[in-house]
Amino acid sequence: MNPLAQPIIYSAVFAGTLIAASSSHWFLTWVGLEMNMLAFIPILTKKTNPRSTEAAIKYFLVQATASMILMMAILSNNLLSGQWTMTSTTNQYSSLMILTALAMKLGMAPFHFWVPEVTQGTTLTSGLLLLTWQKLAPISIMYQIFPVVNTNILLTFSTLSIMVGSWGGLNQTQLRKILAYSSITHMGWMMAILPYNPNITIFNLTIYIVLTTTAFLALNLNSSTTTLLLSRSWNKLTWLLPLIPSTLLSLGGLPPLSGFLPKWLVIEELTKNGSLVIPTIMAIITLANLYFYTRLIYSTSITLFPTSNNVKMKWQFENTKPTLLLPTLTVLTTLLLPIAPLMSPAP
Amino acid sequence: MTYTLFLLSVILVMGFVGFSSKPSPIYGGLVLVVSGVVGCAVILNCGGGYLGLMVFLIYLGGMMVVFGYTTAMAIEEYPEAWGSGVEVLVGVLVGLAMEVGLVLWAKECDGLVMVLNFNNMGSWVIYEGEGSGLIREDSIGAGALYDYGRWLVVVTGWTLLVGVYIVIEIARGN
Repeated sequence: MNPLAQPIIYSAVFAGTLIAASSSHWFLTWVGLEMNMLAFIPILTKKTNPRSTEAAIKYFLVQATASMILMMAILSNNLLSGQWTMTSTTNQYSSLMILTALAMKLGMAPFHFWVPEVTQGTTLTSGLLLLTWQKLAPISIMYQIFPVVNTNILLTFSTLSIMVGSWGGLNQTQLRKILAYSSITHMGWMMAILPYNPNITIFNLTIYIVLTTTAFLALNLNSSTTTLLLSRSWNKLTWLLPLIPSTLLSLGGLPPLSGFLPKWLVIEELTKNGSLVIPTIMAIITLANLYFYTRLIYSTSITLFPTSNNVKMKWQFENTKPTLLLPTLTVLTTLLLPIAPLMSPAP
Repeated sequence: MTYTLFLLSVILVMGFVGFSSKPSPIYGGLVLVVSGVVGCAVILNCGGGYLGLMVFLIYLGGMMVVFGYTTAMAIEEYPEAWGSGVEVLVGVLVGLAMEVGLVLWAKECDGLVMVLNFNNMGSWVIYEGEGSGLIREDSIGAGALYDYGRWLVVVTGWTLLVGVYIVIEIARGN
């Protein structure tokens, strides 16, 4: 991407999300989503090659379809009720179509196929933006319309997302695809709690963004995109070896790490609401997630893959990438659990 | 007036069938022009002369001219019309058959009520505020857009500008 073009494109991405999140009028929300989606395409094709073009086209088609469904739902709601307010989308068909469109934008289960494909096609930094910042606008809309959303369908989407995200990542060797499937699982957890306590959704999103940012930045240090490349980082960035396992275990939601915090709150809130089957299923299936993280950890820091002798000389080259954010983010990724009473949302 | 609207709607749908059966872009653009003109006529028929004129000028005068120009620049040697390939032909015929069925249903089996209902929705299509008595009500909307809708104009104008900017950024090559 042309450096002169960058400020306008990034400001359009951020302004689009902010317009969509801060608007109470359906039309401006839609405009914000469109602006955000259009401006994100040059970010996906930052490195110009056929694979990134394919990813950008897939992203554009899916998001444009979701935007059209959203516009259709908004117009039919306006036709039936005569108003544009977001929080009172009372017509159930309109709200169902809006839920479908937003699930498509978030990459939730029946509409999840684009997420791994698009993430795999871009650079690690663009993938980071795709899996974190691009979730903000749809989730803030969901946060505003949650009282009118059909709970059964939302829970079906969420449970399916968790299953797909966990099973889909099992056979992957590509790190970006694994992180994309992990994103699908996390979306499922966020949306499952939305009808009961939407503040936990926002809290879960915050923790998820911190965790994913840490993971992507740590992988970006050595530009590791496959398990094999990651397994060669031992002689270049030895200090990364304890950090990557803790980040991945935190993403998987293992208890002493901060990734456990949102899962704890979600399960607690669902249990309080008398729902026992769904959190059980969710917790059990997320274990598969933990399995493929464990496999990554095994090949990264527990074992030594056979490599040629040239690879072992890589430590001679100094690391040039900035690690400005990584210490803070790693601490946040691993050690947030003790301050849970401060951060847990008010009942 | 209802019959005019019915006829215009049929032509509109036939135009949509024409380009959604995917001929070459140049012919798709052609029927898109037809649909656009007829769409403006539908709005005109509902009483929105100003809105119809605006859509005509902007959609056909601006967008379709550029679209026609670009498709003419990128035209293939033997462009595919509706009779050239069996896929396109079948698409058109299926679409037309469904449209004929719908028209027959509207004519024979009391479906005209739906058309009448749509015709009475003119008040939804055209905003009828309190007129000042001196100028037409629907052209007041343009004034309202620039008066209390000014930030909306800023946002939409900026979005369109960013859209063009991004298309240039993607398509310029290296």
